[in-house]
Amino acid sequence: MTPDTPHNDLRPGFLALSTALTGFSEHELLGTGQTMIYLQTVCDMARSDCIADMLDAFCACAIGDDKAALDRHLRLCILSHPRHGPLARNLVKLWYTGTWHCLPRDWHESYGGNPADHDHIPSPTSYTEGLLWPAIGANPPGAKPFGYGMWANPPRVFRA
Amino acid sequence: MTGTDPFTIPPEVAFETRYDVAIIGSGVSGALIAKSLAARGLRVIVVEAGPGEDVTIADYTKSVERFYSAVSKDNNAPYAHSRNAPMPRDYDAVKLHDGQPNDRGYLVQNGPFEIDSTYSRVLGGTTRHWEAKALRMLPDDFRMQSAFGRGRDWPIGYDDLAPDYIRAERELGVSGNVEDQGYGGLTFEDGYVYPMKRMPPSFLDKTMAKDLDGLEVTVGDETFSLNVRSTPQARNGIPNAAYDGGKGFTPTGAVSIHQAEMGERCQGNTNCVPICPVQAKYDARRTLLAAMDTGHVHLLPRTVAARVEIDSTTGRVTGVTCKTYANKDAPGHITGTLNATTYVLAANAVENARLMLASDLHGSSNLMGRNLMDHAYLLTWGLMPQVVGTGRGPLCTSGIEDIRTGAYRSHHAAVRFSIHNDGWGWATGAPYTDLADLVDARNLTGIALRNALIDRVGRQLLLDCMIEVLPEESNRISVDPRHLDQMGNPRPVVSFDIPDYTLETVAFSRRLTRRIYQRLGAEDHSHYTPSAPGWVTHDGEGFTVRGGNHWAGTHIMGTHAKTSVVDATQRSWDHDNLYLAGAGSMPSIGTANTTLTLAALCLRTADAIAHDLAPGTAAPSASTRREGVSA
Repeated sequence: MTPDTPHNDLRPGFLALSTALTGFSEHELLGTGQTMIYLQTVCDMARSDCIADMLDAFCACAIGDDKAALDRHLRLCILSHPRHGPLARNLVKLWYTGTWHCLPRDWHESYGGNPADHDHIPSPTSYTEGLLWPAIGANPPGAKPFGYGMWANPPRVFRA
Repeated sequence: MTGTDPFTIPPEVAFETRYDVAIIGSGVSGALIAKSLAARGLRVIVVEAGPGEDVTIADYTKSVERFYSAVSKDNNAPYAHSRNAPMPRDYDAVKLHDGQPNDRGYLVQNGPFEIDSTYSRVLGGTTRHWEAKALRMLPDDFRMQSAFGRGRDWPIGYDDLAPDYIRAERELGVSGNVEDQGYGGLTFEDGYVYPMKRMPPSFLDKTMAKDLDGLEVTVGDETFSLNVRSTPQARNGIPNAAYDGGKGFTPTGAVSIHQAEMGERCQGNTNCVPICPVQAKYDARRTLLAAMDTGHVHLLPRTVAARVEIDSTTGRVTGVTCKTYANKDAPGHITGTLNATTYVLAANAVENARLMLASDLHGSSNLMGRNLMDHAYLLTWGLMPQVVGTGRGPLCTSGIEDIRTGAYRSHHAAVRFSIHNDGWGWATGAPYTDLADLVDARNLTGIALRNALIDRVGRQLLLDCMIEVLPEESNRISVDPRHLDQMGNPRPVVSFDIPDYTLETVAFSRRLTRRIYQRLGAEDHSHYTPSAPGWVTHDGEGFTVRGGNHWAGTHIMGTHAKTSVVDATQRSWDHDNLYLAGAGSMPSIGTANTTLTLAALCLRTADAIAHDLAPGTAAPSASTRREGVSA
């Protein structure tokens, strides 16, 4: 991505929040190649100032490595917030499945998102890069197979 | 041949050519008959209603990407749709209310049972999205009336069809293990092996087998011992060197008019339905391209057969009137008539009946479109005690076959069970619905979400119960001038109910699967809701029954024109130069997916047609057929 890419200034906060929401490392998220596609998607379907506000709220306090504090911060400031919560939950599903789900009608009525918001998969690779599959030790159906006969072996599933 | 498309011919040429054989439909039935006849030098035209563009890796990749990009990943999601040749979608099946038909999709559902089965109107037909299970029917399945006083007998028996099963298993390229098929009276030729070795059983299969094998079940007066057995399937595996008397087997790879390094062994993409991204799964394009290689076959896509024309004196078919469209979405078509000595309708059990009824050809038995069958699926699902690696491998590698037949069939239907490697998706929409529940209702994110998904999805077992449905004349396809498609062709109207004979086994299967989950120590999560399409009740208990996409019976085979539509070669009793080919001819479907059996039937049909049109050309032998088509 070039420095001129729209929303490039939001990228660090977006990655930090995405890491906390998904339980996957920044390194793993970047490896999907979807970061800027997803940032663009949420900005398009909601509004970029809504996203900026959410990222500001998330980055407002320095948590460090305290997992319990991070969890509490997410719950208090993002997930239970009427504007940020639905966006954050949509973002989790987007990372996990590659599918953007239309935001709830009352969200749009209250915060004025894009009237053209709709369920969609931003790019074919969004589907194959879904985090759901590595989370459960499977391949995305129709892509990234493990190879002939590998299904006979015990699964390799790693608890985070 | 046109300049832009080296594979198909212009409609003007097709309509002005006199063919030996005109085949309606490029699916497995039509493709097998075309290949067999063309190899014997007969001039054949194959007509396909769908766009028919899928003969390059680039086209195929488009279908895979269409699947990736589809929010609703139903079994027709990958394929290019034509508004001029619409196809059914499972999500169009809805709960019927107040006896009102549901006409929101291509099929008009007249009820009382709403069936969510589909088919594909594309090059290669429904084998494009089939799962490729390739079980043989059992000897008892061919003699239902004489053995059990139920349903109908076939005019041929298992032993008559056994040599054709061998041919069909070669054509489709079946991976399997004969030793695992020793149940229910199944017999194989001495020393027979499948073309390829069985798909390795999944870790889930093996985990289940440890505790399940040896479970004794009493059904009626008989006791059966259940065992997990590998499922034969038309999917490329490791060729068996012992095949064909030690000659071995060379698998057919990806379909492409250009060279392609794809289509070797199954890689475990867990996506047999709706599309195998590497073409390890058989689909009828393989056979069709081999047929085209003979130089004796013309392909006319984007062409919907509209009317079968009959000479009223002789009853012979004089032509098939077709409508060819240029744009798959926009209205507009040209009309022409195919001209051939012999005609084959191979458009599937629903479309064959639709076309005949649209041509006012009800048959002297009045059975055209009647005796509609499909398998009734009861889905059950649970969580295994440990993580079993759900979501890996072909959709199913094993099943439970031991009670596919028995004296109990005098009272209720036969059943087999498939162990699903892909989790609860078919029943619940998993794992997407699991993710939504964990995020939206359980308020999980981050590492807690990841760990919860492992327990929620990685332990999933779906056990489907595939239950026999017998022919009943009231279950039928019909046409109604009030329901037309964009081209003005009548759409199929489905009237279907699940007979008590089948419902009894639905209830039995639920009782048996409860025992299986108890024995495995699995949490049984199966539940059924009255608001869902497919809701049925039996003895006060309710279930949701799903369709199996195994449409059959609508031009039923028999021994007499008054009681059946076609003879044992699938030739129409009423029109002696017309064959109706495919599962529509089957008088029973037992507990086998219909494709392997209909493939065996179609190979016999090709022999019968060749016997009439090209006497003296023996069927190409199994070992020479491959060379024969490219000569």
